[in-house]
Amino acid sequence: MRMPPFELHNPTSLSEALATAADLEEAGQDFDWIAGGTDLLPNYKWHINAKKHVIALAKVSELTELSPTHIGAMVRLHDLAQSDASHPVLAKAANSIASVMIRRSGTVGGNICLDTRCYWFNQSEQWRESIDWCHKCDCGTAADCRVIPNQNTLCVATYQADLAPVLMCLEATIHLASPSGQRSVLLSEFFELDGMTRNVLQRGELVTHLTLPEGAGEWQGDYQKLSQRESWDFPEAGVAVLWKRNGGAKPADLRVGTTGLESIPGFHTEEAASALVDWRGKESIDELAEAIRKAVKPVQNTWYAPSYRRKMVKVLTRRACAGLL
Amino acid sequence: MSVEKKDDEMVGYRQQPGKLPFSKPGSGGKNQFSKPTDASIIPESQGGSKKQPWGPHPHDELVSGQAIGKPTAMVDSRWKVTGQAHYGDDVRLAGELIGRIVRSPHHYARVLSIDVTKALELPGVIAVATGADAANKFGVLPVTKDEHAMAVEKVRHAGDLVACVAAETEATAREAERLIEVEYEILDSIHDMRDGLEDSQTPIHDRGKYHIGESNIQKRVFQEFGDVAGMSQAAVASHKQNWLFAGVNHAATEPHAVVAHWDPSGRLTLYTPQQVPHYLHRALADVLEIPMHQINVHRTFVGGGFGGKSDPFPHEMCAAILARKAGRPVRICLDREEVYWINRGRHPSRIEMNLHADSEGRICGIETDALIDGGAFASFGHVTTYYNGVLHTAPYEIGAFHYTGARVWTNKPASGAMRGHGAVNSRCAVEVGMDDLAEQLAVDPITLRLANLLPPHSATITGFRVTSIGMRECLERVRAASGWDDKFRKMPLGKGIGIGCGFFISGSALPIHWDPNKFPHATVHLKIDMDGGVTVHTGAAEIGQGSDTVIAQSVAEVLGLPLDMIRIKSRDTDTSPVDLGSYSSRVTFMNANAAISAAMGIRDELLDATVEITGAERNKLVIGDRRIFAKNDPAVGVSYLEALHKAQEDRGALVSSGAYRTPPMGRTHKGAAAGLAPAYSFSAYVAEVSVDIETGQTKVDKVWAAHDCGKALNPLAVKGQIIGSCHMGMGQVLSEEMRYLRSGHLMNPDLLDYKIPSVHEMPEVIPIIVESNDLEGPFGAKEAGEGPLLPILPAVCNAVYDAIGVRTSELPITPDRMYRMIENRCRAEKVSDPLDLASPRLEHSALQDTLDARSNAHTERDIERRLDDEREPYHNGALFGLDPTIPPDEVDPRWAVTVLPSDEYLTTPRLAGSAWKHTERRHRGDA
Repeated sequence: MRMPPFELHNPTSLSEALATAADLEEAGQDFDWIAGGTDLLPNYKWHINAKKHVIALAKVSELTELSPTHIGAMVRLHDLAQSDASHPVLAKAANSIASVMIRRSGTVGGNICLDTRCYWFNQSEQWRESIDWCHKCDCGTAADCRVIPNQNTLCVATYQADLAPVLMCLEATIHLASPSGQRSVLLSEFFELDGMTRNVLQRGELVTHLTLPEGAGEWQGDYQKLSQRESWDFPEAGVAVLWKRNGGAKPADLRVGTTGLESIPGFHTEEAASALVDWRGKESIDELAEAIRKAVKPVQNTWYAPSYRRKMVKVLTRRACAGLL
Repeated sequence: MSVEKKDDEMVGYRQQPGKLPFSKPGSGGKNQFSKPTDASIIPESQGGSKKQPWGPHPHDELVSGQAIGKPTAMVDSRWKVTGQAHYGDDVRLAGELIGRIVRSPHHYARVLSIDVTKALELPGVIAVATGADAANKFGVLPVTKDEHAMAVEKVRHAGDLVACVAAETEATAREAERLIEVEYEILDSIHDMRDGLEDSQTPIHDRGKYHIGESNIQKRVFQEFGDVAGMSQAAVASHKQNWLFAGVNHAATEPHAVVAHWDPSGRLTLYTPQQVPHYLHRALADVLEIPMHQINVHRTFVGGGFGGKSDPFPHEMCAAILARKAGRPVRICLDREEVYWINRGRHPSRIEMNLHADSEGRICGIETDALIDGGAFASFGHVTTYYNGVLHTAPYEIGAFHYTGARVWTNKPASGAMRGHGAVNSRCAVEVGMDDLAEQLAVDPITLRLANLLPPHSATITGFRVTSIGMRECLERVRAASGWDDKFRKMPLGKGIGIGCGFFISGSALPIHWDPNKFPHATVHLKIDMDGGVTVHTGAAEIGQGSDTVIAQSVAEVLGLPLDMIRIKSRDTDTSPVDLGSYSSRVTFMNANAAISAAMGIRDELLDATVEITGAERNKLVIGDRRIFAKNDPAVGVSYLEALHKAQEDRGALVSSGAYRTPPMGRTHKGAAAGLAPAYSFSAYVAEVSVDIETGQTKVDKVWAAHDCGKALNPLAVKGQIIGSCHMGMGQVLSEEMRYLRSGHLMNPDLLDYKIPSVHEMPEVIPIIVESNDLEGPFGAKEAGEGPLLPILPAVCNAVYDAIGVRTSELPITPDRMYRMIENRCRAEKVSDPLDLASPRLEHSALQDTLDARSNAHTERDIERRLDDEREPYHNGALFGLDPTIPPDEVDPRWAVTVLPSDEYLTTPRLAGSAWKHTERRHRGDA
């Protein structure tokens, strides 16, 4: 595999990075941000939507702050997993990503913005030619979706990053910056249901950091992940359940997030709320697990069949709730 | 700083600073008197104190205590760990060009035209080649040459080679690749191996008058031995299972790479990580139309082969063709995806396994039907088709054996030879069947096996000559080590323990090319000049398995020298004698035998020289550490160098040649040679697993792995092979598969989605070495490279049954498949929560005592046979009351050997057996 040539820009501050982006934008040049590169570069080698310009964020020091309420976009996954400042469930999720070497390079921002994945898409150029390309990377052929044929309106590639469901449950806010200014949205509103657009990021915009509300530390919970191997593999399904206790057996509040099942991570507020209405311990957990299973709609584009992944969502949800009993 | 003076270091030879200390050549000088070698190393048969429970060995007198049996780091390991080993893609020649291959995007298509004009116009492109540049076919087996360097007329799978280009840089080559315009006419492709059995409008290959009907059947086998008609009548327990095995790839660390260079003398040197340089040598001569003596195949370091580098490959031809056209060296390195396109991995297979046991717990019949998916080319397929049957006719004594096998072409990357060639899948099916029979008979599965083993020095039902057998010891040792009797059918739900056995050839008795007659399988040349170092020329391909090390050890042992005095030259066909290559687990057995024989030539000359110097009695002389001395009076002797220099008087360097060829053996029916080997290895593994009942995830917790390798010449390497085999076999049983989806595309040609177990999945493996002292093996050794892979698959499958009571029939047992089986069991037993399922339990039946008694009697029989030089022949069938000394088909008409199906069989054939419904064209009268 050989990387297609690109020009690498190495800004040393956020403002310089944004200025570089603005310049490229003005010149009509397409570009990608690169953080850890563990996802982007393999895709580049496969000639998947490679750009002529790449802006590296490695030297932008403003983005590396890590505290219980502030997580810079350039915080390495390994640091997030190891730091005392990390919420324990977040640390667990971070520690389940890929392998040590990839976690040492991969970043929080990169993980949140991880490109969606699909059997028909994450392949070499030659391979994709053999299937006549696909909707997500059609190389100008207007090719059809290979997972659900006869539709090329929506890409159903799967979002397979581990951090988002936990962060959504912790009510994280994501902070974005672009040459035209800064804005913040709730992480749960950051994603857009389409395997190609994926999220609300505009051209030239990047993630600077995430913030967690002050009380995040009061939330307990668990993250459960389904994968063939304990290392390397992307989640075939992931469920985060977080709750706040008020002394009694019934949790005062409950949140459920999922990943690896659709084009965006799921945040299941309704299901969580109805579980709390009439809390009966194990029974309620079973009902919640069943409700989450019903709520997700995986397709056939990853290692495991969708029917299995759905069934496992139920098991994972139950297991993530084990601390509630 | 004071440097401690080591007694062993060289005196009078200047060491370069920073270099490793060498041991001194010859112990002459300071230490005039040899110390008699440690008696514990010398076998009892030579007057030492080393016990020989399996009897003496012809090589006992060669034991000098230097190297054999000692855990030895590979002689090339420092090269590898310091990054100085040059693998295929590390070769850099001045003026090299980079070659790239244009591959077919279609599964099956006619190539109508190829336009290379634009590519050739691109600056930096030096040469382009297509199928028109190499018309001659090649293939690893001379009977099935069906490959071209690049497509001639048709492409047969997505990824098949169409053209190639050489350019100044890789970027240019890749750009040129896109500029080559190919026009295809797409043909109907087949992807399901069952479709290969049917007639086709456009069969993938045309074998002329030998073509089987109009089908895609490449090879078919029908074999019946023993009392086939009587087996189902005698049976009180029968096992039947239809298996589906996914194809797996070797996934060696190093992708294939090649550098071709035509030197100024007009000779070709091809640098390539090959397991079988000799067959490549022949194929290159065929394709390039130049004589073999004009070609030097240089084997680079090999970053893992496992059978995946044992065919002559089209990309190797491409490099040679491009280099000839360009007049410059050409280097080609495959991407991982391309490694999957050339594949040669284990065949996807559909195997129907039937096992029958009679009222005395004897295995009265095995019926196997194996349909194997060969992909687009023949490769080793001929052999694989036989191996799927004949390699499970031992270690058990059986009453009947019926085998139908077929290999079909499909439009997939070609399957071929992979570690455990042809034996792995059907062995898994047999061993799971044994477990099921034990369950049905209500006996312990290890006891069932122990009571049905062939004795040492016996013949299988197919007529294979089996010599040493350590199967019983393997079983007994894993049973004891694993605490089997306290665990089997006694563990809680989700925890299980299982047994599996293995049997494998230690070198194929029939070489692939059997011309010229009586040509040896392995030859080794030695040369010793006045410096005392021994140069060993061998063609054995070091592929990481340690062949260089084992050859060095063998020579060192015979000559009584430290390993650093042995230098192995095994790279170039120019300087190495022909060796058939690293496949079929033949290297240690054959090449070490050749090396011993060569070293014995030198040893004789050294002993003669010693007699000349000392006047000692020749038959009293022994070789110890760098010294030759009289056994009865160690003070009478000379140093190695003294003897050597004496022997070199008036003639210079000593040279010697040794060779090995298998003795004639086997029977005469069609296919009788497939599976013949000069010796066989045996193994038994116990695996303990945990199954997550709710998710279906299986984790192997611990493996006890006993392997009978005859004699561990290098125990470190044997243990490494056992552990590595466990890892590879665990991949196949739990997670690895080449997954083809509905469109026929291979979905996971990369190492993220091709799920090789990671370190987390790897259990603790306890290797147990059993040494059965094979009389024909070098110092008693047999193979340890492939056989150790076989038992892990069934051991895991059987452990899974012990854990949750479901029998798998599809590999790999990925969690989703396991979950489905658990769901099915719940449904069948009307259990709503899988956690409420019952664990399998065992109450021994009365048969258990019968089997115990028989097993004990056989233990004595076996010990007697292995130590008795005057033993009578033992043919499979004695357990069923036949005269052991005569082949059963000669005394009992019911035990006839049949290699053609009857008309009656063809009315209701099994799946692969239906291949026999077609008539070969030459017998049809219209060819």
